[in-house]
Amino acid sequence: MPRDTADLLVEPVETTEADLASIRPQAAYSTTEPDDFRSLEAGLDRLQTDPDRAPSAWKRFTTSVLPPIVFVVALLVAWQLYIVIAQPRPDLAPSPLDVVTAIGQAWESGRLQLAVTTSLERGVLGFLVAVVVGTPLGLLLAEVKPLRRAIGPIISGLQVLPSVAWVPAAIIWFGLTDATVYFVVLMGAVPSIVNGLIAGVDQVPPQLRRVGTVLGAGPGRLAALVVLPAALPGYVAGLKQGWAFSWRSLMAAEIIATGGTIGFGVGSMLDQSRELADLAGVLATILLILAIGILIELAFFAPLERRMLRRRGLLQAGAK
Amino acid sequence: MSGQTAIRIEQLGKRFGAGPLVLDDVNLSIEAGEFVCLLGASGCGKSTLLNLIAGLDRPTTGSIDVPAEGAAVMFQESALMPWLTARQNVELALRLRGVPRAARRGEALELLDTVNLADAAEKRPHELSGGMRQRVALARALAQDRPVLLMDEPFAALDAITRDLLHEELERVWRRTGRTIVFVTHNVREAARLGQRVVLLSSRPGRVAGEWRIAETTGRRIESPEVAALSIEITEQLRKEIRRNAA
Repeated sequence: MPRDTADLLVEPVETTEADLASIRPQAAYSTTEPDDFRSLEAGLDRLQTDPDRAPSAWKRFTTSVLPPIVFVVALLVAWQLYIVIAQPRPDLAPSPLDVVTAIGQAWESGRLQLAVTTSLERGVLGFLVAVVVGTPLGLLLAEVKPLRRAIGPIISGLQVLPSVAWVPAAIIWFGLTDATVYFVVLMGAVPSIVNGLIAGVDQVPPQLRRVGTVLGAGPGRLAALVVLPAALPGYVAGLKQGWAFSWRSLMAAEIIATGGTIGFGVGSMLDQSRELADLAGVLATILLILAIGILIELAFFAPLERRMLRRRGLLQAGAK
Repeated sequence: MSGQTAIRIEQLGKRFGAGPLVLDDVNLSIEAGEFVCLLGASGCGKSTLLNLIAGLDRPTTGSIDVPAEGAAVMFQESALMPWLTARQNVELALRLRGVPRAARRGEALELLDTVNLADAAEKRPHELSGGMRQRVALARALAQDRPVLLMDEPFAALDAITRDLLHEELERVWRRTGRTIVFVTHNVREAARLGQRVVLLSSRPGRVAGEWRIAETTGRRIESPEVAALSIEITEQLRKEIRRNAA
């Protein structure tokens, strides 16, 4: 189809301008055949692009999985060696084996499973509520300038305020109930999500908005089809930080506020071990809290972020 | 070509706020299907004029008549959405035009084929070269299906070889689609190579300072002697206009 039209267009040159073409030498080479042009352009395209090579599974294993494992194993070995060589008081410096035993005991008694499910459920639920609250709030603040001038600094300030500070107030308001825990989690996570979204929207290149307008998008579709997707990297960074704040706030709330109708979470387990002066148990719980944080990051946020950045060409293959 | 006026600009003036006049008494009438190059040094208000034609800005005085369907615009930077593939970028324009979902994919692929990018349809902007990105942007502008295509120095950031090829590509697309094209550039050779008409704008304020019509537009190349001859003539006039600013 394109060939036909192109041929038709070339025709008048050959018929009506035949003598002219013979006079001007450039006319002979200037009308490149369509197929010629296609191959010429395809050749240049090939020269100017590099195939995007995804790193091999083995390379990814050796560059990103192996180093932290090696480090942790080295740490454990050093710890065990210290115990064996220096022989400190076991109640002040338990060995890695003691900690593993403590974890095993907690598992057998069912406390570990109960604590992890309770805390994860609260953490995830609290985080999701924070997303639902923070996203529209962030969009509103990013797009409505007067509102942002009024509320923006306070939200930024709230991000700096340690959310543990809300625990006493929450206990007075809500008593020792789940509401206290959720309140503290929300106060920790919402400002991060809001700030992440605002930063993301601020970094949307103005020409993308302009293109959206030129293509005929009204304010609603501009936000949905251009601004929000363009702000996604900042938003995901905000979500990631929001999760971190949720988890930290949750632990703080669980450690401080125990009893009442508040269930048994990982924080409560930590506090219980402290009361029993069970250092192995305390260390085991700390490791557990750390492991859950790392696991959520590795299983959920890291792949999400990597996929998004790679799609946008913001991540060099092989880097990170 | 058809002899119908597509864009009529009469006694157009533009100033921003209380600033100096950017455009002063610009009169220009562009026929449907015509390829017009707006040429000028920095500060001649050629981008301002383009924005006015595109309806992104309003004139201070005078009037602009453009087709009711409006104009498609292509910028110096391709401004493709980085999270969408080449095909999806074109589909976005189709979607905003109101093309039903089922028809979008096929039409987008067809448009990408007109710019020789059918094979790169599933690539994302960062995997494409600068020239390929501008071709996707061209396909996207064509997807808007407006009779007028406005181009604001679309090839300024490209290397000479790529630009040369894109000139040929654009000429092909113009002949095939019969679009009215207004092409803004500060590159004299580019204007002499592409335009059916070259309109020279003076600087501060921008006025029409000269106009050339090219009778024979087929078979031109950037290195053609007639393009070179015209470039020399236009450059002379352009330098005269620039020199007037020294006084």
